[in-house]
Amino acid sequence: MKKVLLAVVALGAALTVSLPGAFARLEAPKARQADPGVTSRSITIGGTFPFSGPVSSYAPIARGMETYFRFVNARRGPDGKRGVYGRQIIFKTYDDGYNPARTVQLTQQLVLQDKVFAIYGSLGTEPNLAIRPYLNQRKIPQLQIATGASYWGAQHKAFPWTMGWQTDYIAEGRVYGKWILQNRPRARIAIFYQNDDYGKDYLRGVKQGLGSRASSMIASELSYEVTDTSYASQIARQRASGADTWILLTTAGTPTVRALGTGRAVGYRPEQIVINSVAATDQVMAAAARTTGQEYVNGVVSTGYLKNNTNPKYKNDPAIRSFRRIMGKYGPEGGVDIRNTFYYYGVANASEFVRLLYKAGKNPTRASLMAAARNRNWVNPYTLTGMRTLTRKGDAFPLDQGKILRYNNGSFTEISPLYKGR
Amino acid sequence: MPRISPFTLLKFACVLAVAVFVAVLPQIFDSRLDPGSAEFRVGQFTLVGIWFVALLGLNVLTGFNGQISLGHGAFVGLGAYVTALLSLGRPGLELYMLDPPSWLPIGDGMRPVFTIPIAALVTGIIGFLFGFPALRLGGVSLALATLAVAVSFPILMKRFDEVTGGGGGVNLNLPTTPFGWDISTRHWLYYEAWITAGIVLVLAWLLVRGRVGRAFRAIRDGEIAAVSSGVNSALYKTLAFGVSSAFAGAAGALLAIEVAYVNPDTFPVGLSILLLASAVIGGLGSLAGAAFGALLYVFLPIYSQNPPIVSWDFSNQAPAVVFGAVLIAIMLLLPGGVAGGFRRLTGLVRLGLARRRADRSELA
Repeated sequence: MKKVLLAVVALGAALTVSLPGAFARLEAPKARQADPGVTSRSITIGGTFPFSGPVSSYAPIARGMETYFRFVNARRGPDGKRGVYGRQIIFKTYDDGYNPARTVQLTQQLVLQDKVFAIYGSLGTEPNLAIRPYLNQRKIPQLQIATGASYWGAQHKAFPWTMGWQTDYIAEGRVYGKWILQNRPRARIAIFYQNDDYGKDYLRGVKQGLGSRASSMIASELSYEVTDTSYASQIARQRASGADTWILLTTAGTPTVRALGTGRAVGYRPEQIVINSVAATDQVMAAAARTTGQEYVNGVVSTGYLKNNTNPKYKNDPAIRSFRRIMGKYGPEGGVDIRNTFYYYGVANASEFVRLLYKAGKNPTRASLMAAARNRNWVNPYTLTGMRTLTRKGDAFPLDQGKILRYNNGSFTEISPLYKGR
Repeated sequence: MPRISPFTLLKFACVLAVAVFVAVLPQIFDSRLDPGSAEFRVGQFTLVGIWFVALLGLNVLTGFNGQISLGHGAFVGLGAYVTALLSLGRPGLELYMLDPPSWLPIGDGMRPVFTIPIAALVTGIIGFLFGFPALRLGGVSLALATLAVAVSFPILMKRFDEVTGGGGGVNLNLPTTPFGWDISTRHWLYYEAWITAGIVLVLAWLLVRGRVGRAFRAIRDGEIAAVSSGVNSALYKTLAFGVSSAFAGAAGALLAIEVAYVNPDTFPVGLSILLLASAVIGGLGSLAGAAFGALLYVFLPIYSQNPPIVSWDFSNQAPAVVFGAVLIAIMLLLPGGVAGGFRRLTGLVRLGLARRRADRSELA
């Protein structure tokens, strides 16, 4: 027995002595290499999306993007080749469940193991905030991310490899403010907003849009937490304020439906309800109408920067028709509800990215992709007529305009000219 | 010299072998994989180490002391926020336009590694204090109370957004190797996690094999009997909460350093539930079980989520389903978890050997 003990101790000592050697760092020689993710036949990109979890209703955005890339890979482009300059687009998507810790892990997986050329379209403000320093440190493009936070454009100088796409929340808020000043100059406004960056960005924008008249026009400004299950007390107070214009800055789905339902229940009937664009989708409005009755939600106003594919005005619009064709032919098996605007967003966003890939050149590098992203001056046919996609030195917001839309009996119509949010 | 059974020696040898394996694993990856993949794998195993620490805490509380906690994730989150605030310091928080009250002892920013014991201490104290009202609860009621903690944690972090950065959270400084040591940052994070895990493991081991551990188990197996035998149930139950939260806090600190970002959504209710499930599948009442649970927690979601190029089925949602299925299977087939399974296996071997020895001595 003592011998065995002695042997174990000796083994342990030997290993302890050899361990410091194990700490020596292996220095891999740094060879000059082409950017990862690009081969002669393919470009690999990746992004993280909430396929599960509390905001999984946004998942169709990723499906729309995947569909568009399938289309690009199958069709012959302007140079006669399939894909982009003959390279097939490989788009890897992972589910982060909207948990930023998982986003970081999965993004590292995309970067280190899948060796993607760029991070594309990752969804969510907090998830993108979590990965932004890492990607910028490694000089990996973080482009066309599916979030309207103003961080990306506002802090582009500090994080030059990150750029958003859609009209950001502050710009959108300003559009509401401007429209109200022009069309309802004597309004008493009640604002109900989500108590996080999303809601507060919108709120900031609305106040900036109202300018010096903000404090005199806003009669009530109350918030709710994402996890609240009842808004009764806040909305009752907003009704008591006598405001005739009610601005809802809520996320899509339950919060918006609940707010409208509560408003109806407490008998709050403002002349004009304004709902932010993320929430004012056909689905949400239809769901709200089931609770409040169609009459309550008719007349709701919102903004848009994309053509609405359910708007009969666009029935013969080439962009809408190509959207329907692409979704029909390359969409997910089993078909999708084409009225869900998230698919349209995905297609519109992906088409912009493909355009950037072309602009990055026949031999794209990460640097050339970012250079393309920073110098855009064109029209994306999926956006509203008259909108220009513009970026340049000092302007890292590709889209910053919007039109006011009015909802009525299941569809949105554009009722204003194009406003500049920035 | 007292007779040490060969099985105890074997157990120690196994632990030593695993420790050596953990120590050289980064080198194995570096030599066999390309730099990117190696870095990624080392990162994955760093996370295994971090969740191992958290599960050791949960095991002490639920496995050894029998108090069900559905709020462990909240304590992990608390430790993470403590580290975030301390490592950024007041100047760092000001860059986020945050303005924590002056009575909070947030310094000017300290090296992240030093925040680990502080986070453990702070979380341990809060867990200990939580243990007092928990004394009045047991079983389902305690589970619900801890669930309430898990649910309210993200809300509290959003409420005190002047301190915590609210929903947007805060980015910690990207990790770097401290003290100018000549070791890559990725390796440093790995060893930081595993050395902490080693320390916590030794502490947990000393705890459960001593008087305290016996008291824990006595309370778990029959509180009334334990109390009538003179065990101070109130003291040990609150102590269990304190110790388990301290370990969770250390894990949270490591997580914050590794991920370099904290926000309320990083610690949702689901985390606490998955942690408990991992602890059960790994094996409650066994320190080794925490290691199996950590491996499961890190790798199961990845391997059940078939990374798709084109995918429009449920594969993206698989992790939760697979987790549930594995949990049910384990509960039915191996209630002691994976560690329990191993124990049964060695038990069978010992029985076989003992029988052989008995036969031989009969013949002699």
